[in-house]
Amino acid sequence: MTLHGFVVRNALRNRRRMLLTMLSVGASMFLLVTLLVALRELTNPPTGIGASLRIAVPSKVSLATELPARQRPILEKLPGVRAVTPLTWFGGRLNGEESFNLPQFGIDARYFREVFAEAILSEADWTAWMASRTACIAGKDVAERYKLKVGDRIRIQGDIYPVDLELTLAAVYGIDGAAAADSIFFHHEYFDEAMGNPGTVGMWWVLAESAEVVPGLIDRINATFANSSAEVRAETERAFQLGFISMLANLKLLIGSICAVVVFTLGLVTASTMSMAIRERFRELSILKAVGFRRRDLFAFILAESFGLSLAGGMLGAGAAVGLYSSPLVTKFSKGFFPIFEVTPQIIGTALFVAATLGILASLMPALSVMRLSVVEGLRALD
Amino acid sequence: MSSEALVQVRGLRKVYRQGEIDVAALAGIDLDIHAGEFLALMGPSGSGKSTLLHLIAGIDRPSAGSCHVGGVDVATLGQSELAGWRNRNVGFIFQSFNLIPVLSALENVEMPLLLTGLSHARRRELATLALDLVGLGDRARHLPRQLSGGQEQRVAIARALVTDPALVVADEPTGNLDSHSAQEVLGILGALNRDAGRTIIMVTHDPKAAASATRIVHLEKGELSP
Amino acid sequence: MPIPLRYHFRSAVTRWRSTAATVLGIALVVFVYVAMQAMAAGIAGVGANTGDPDNLLVTRRGATSEGTSQITLEQLRILQHAPEIAREPGGAPLLSADLAMVINIPRITGEGNANAMVRGVSPRGRALRPQVGLVEGRWFEPGMREVVVSRRMARRFAGMGIGQSFKAGGNTLRVTGHFDGGKSAFDSEIWMDVDETRSMFDRANFSSLLLRPRDAAAAKAFAERLDMDKRLKLRAVPETEYYTKQTGSADTFKKLGGFLAAMMSVGAVFAAMNTLFAAVAARTREVGTLRVLGFRRHAILAGFMIEGTLLAFAGGVVGCSFAAGLAHLLTATGFSFGTFSPQTFSESVFELKVTPVLITGGLLFSLVVGAIGSLLPALRAARIPVISALRSL
Repeated sequence: MTLHGFVVRNALRNRRRMLLTMLSVGASMFLLVTLLVALRELTNPPTGIGASLRIAVPSKVSLATELPARQRPILEKLPGVRAVTPLTWFGGRLNGEESFNLPQFGIDARYFREVFAEAILSEADWTAWMASRTACIAGKDVAERYKLKVGDRIRIQGDIYPVDLELTLAAVYGIDGAAAADSIFFHHEYFDEAMGNPGTVGMWWVLAESAEVVPGLIDRINATFANSSAEVRAETERAFQLGFISMLANLKLLIGSICAVVVFTLGLVTASTMSMAIRERFRELSILKAVGFRRRDLFAFILAESFGLSLAGGMLGAGAAVGLYSSPLVTKFSKGFFPIFEVTPQIIGTALFVAATLGILASLMPALSVMRLSVVEGLRALD
Repeated sequence: MSSEALVQVRGLRKVYRQGEIDVAALAGIDLDIHAGEFLALMGPSGSGKSTLLHLIAGIDRPSAGSCHVGGVDVATLGQSELAGWRNRNVGFIFQSFNLIPVLSALENVEMPLLLTGLSHARRRELATLALDLVGLGDRARHLPRQLSGGQEQRVAIARALVTDPALVVADEPTGNLDSHSAQEVLGILGALNRDAGRTIIMVTHDPKAAASATRIVHLEKGELSP
Repeated sequence: MPIPLRYHFRSAVTRWRSTAATVLGIALVVFVYVAMQAMAAGIAGVGANTGDPDNLLVTRRGATSEGTSQITLEQLRILQHAPEIAREPGGAPLLSADLAMVINIPRITGEGNANAMVRGVSPRGRALRPQVGLVEGRWFEPGMREVVVSRRMARRFAGMGIGQSFKAGGNTLRVTGHFDGGKSAFDSEIWMDVDETRSMFDRANFSSLLLRPRDAAAAKAFAERLDMDKRLKLRAVPETEYYTKQTGSADTFKKLGGFLAAMMSVGAVFAAMNTLFAAVAARTREVGTLRVLGFRRHAILAGFMIEGTLLAFAGGVVGCSFAAGLAHLLTATGFSFGTFSPQTFSESVFELKVTPVLITGGLLFSLVVGAIGSLLPALRAARIPVISALRSL
């Protein structure tokens, strides 16, 4: 009779309880994994290949304020700049779909591939896009979600801007890396015309010549337009993305608190289950003691069983999460709010660690009380 | 003593399935029990005495045969009907008392009455009477854990009496009691039989307990010993 | 119900440790559910509570928010003479031309920036919005780069104490007073003189016009006239109606709350089941006895289901109380939440709003969890054979 064999046999005795314990741990760990992934996605935007070379240049007032087009030639002449393109968030509606889930950008297509190096767009496709003023390209994920084919007419109603865009899909682009191909890009010139040439853009994206020049270049850009009527706040792409995330500050706190509540609740419930199970076995545990097993052995039995059960439940829950989230279910359900929902090994590890630790902690108290139990007391503890 | 027996058992058989083997706990019993009798069923362990008791009291079903109690063949009653029949016609006393631990003595005695249509006041009245009868009127509010073994069993007797059943059935009523309490309990049972004419069927392996009965029947290996 | 309730109640109390754990577990699930719903209600409540029903708000036709709406000086000049607008004793129209601007400013915690809404208002803008009241300091002077900010905003962003300044773009703004928006969308705003706003941010146009019509008939007439005007391309809606449509991220919170509650309740149901199964197992002899005494199976089924459901309901009560208590505490200390509103593209401030409807929902939710969790154990109890009364454990 090995410790391992005994523990397993014991756990299997009450199959229903074992199953329910595992399921409740599993359900809670599934939720924990989900929350941790969501938290990670919200605070850790994926880094594109060219990200380290790109500089975001929005208005200093806010992202909602436009910049004059005349800034462009000034930017292009700055040392260290390889390319400059405008980027304007159109924010319209496609088939009634809110723009948050389907970004549409006006851009200078000539520099698209250079500035956004991780985009996968063949020469032929790019040429097709360049060929027509009203042509646009759409990301692979968008094309899949809305069943778009090359040649389709796409009508985007203007919400922010008082114009509608009539576009034709010239090509579909992909992304090399973790980011999602979830946007539509059209020609900024077409947009300018439709708006009656107001001479403004949403923001600039600047491609630096090398990573070393980036910090100096950022300072130079900010200084160039300081005290002008259109001040800018240039920053690295990473900082820009993180700025978005800081707007969701409360959401992070919320998710963090809920994780804590989930873990606490689970701990509570597991502890209760374990105590119940152990109290029911006082009698047989005393018999074991009478037979000659040492206190330490009993302690180990109980801890091992609880640990094993919780760990198994944790693996169940984490496994279910991995399985479920390998499909684009979340992306569809959240309408693109989470373009990616990756369950990383670290998150799996965290969940398993939490489950196992809870298993040990939960059985600690009852295990200690069993250790102190005298044989006679235990034998007398019938019902 | 009426000419018609209160309990008429004919060809009663009970077979259990243990794994792959059929075990015959009762092998064809014929027995008459008259109203007002205090019958002791005796026999070694495994003789079938408890099984016979369970069948008569309607808490188990026979594999074959009939068992008429007060004219009703309990073997033919459905589960639900049997439940109601038991409630009205049988008072059961268990070896381990089987009082509900969270209810007081009075509440325990009252339990069977909850299935009748009686009013709350009337139920309380009857339960109090029964409790007084066994001499525990002053312990009405006590919980089982606050009573001694003998006192618990007396409460159980009161509970068995409260619906005024045709039969009082006792399965090793003194098995978990010390000799003093056992004497007390047997005394009450005897008095109930002599003075109130109650029909009592008691399973016991203790000859001293059987001495309180008016008639003793022996069972061995599922059959009545001659 | 033949089996008395007190049997179930006292049995649950006897096993107080596992009972308490189950109650607390369900309480936490219900708490999370109600709290999230209360957030959604708080966000939506802000929209429902904003504006004066007698006012009309004029924006560009097709604009979903003031931020994307434009009204030119020319349009203003035409409209301000409309006969339907009520007038002051002096003859001036009760009308305010506003400019809504989004600025990006640092949070008071130092953890990054957030977008905030600046509203440039005309002189009558204050009178037209009676729910906004000055609580400290003084109102801004026209022609000065001074602002009044919502009391709640002042607690969230840097440099908004009275007498302090903060920078928007390259411009410095001095805070002269705090106002209370009466739990409306205005609680998320910074107000200043509209002409100063226009010059600061180099805007020729306004975003919207707020006006008070003479009466209901005039309001209708004005709105209809504007609808039919092909030249102006503007529209007028009652001010309250306009803000009601700005539900912000209420839906997101509702969905999130529903999802979380559903997931947590799965765990809770399994845990409750476990507890009840153990309780049933421990009471096998009792249940057998009850059957001997004549209690039917369905009475036992019903009894255990009630026991489980009441346990869960107790959890629901505790959870709802937690949520209501938290909301009350936060309100009393003046704490508010803030979230990004997609419509205004800026931070929207709100409070937890625990309504009777929400509480009822939370309680119902706990009942459902209890019923589902106790079904299988109750069935098990009902199937305990009568003979179990005679068998020891």
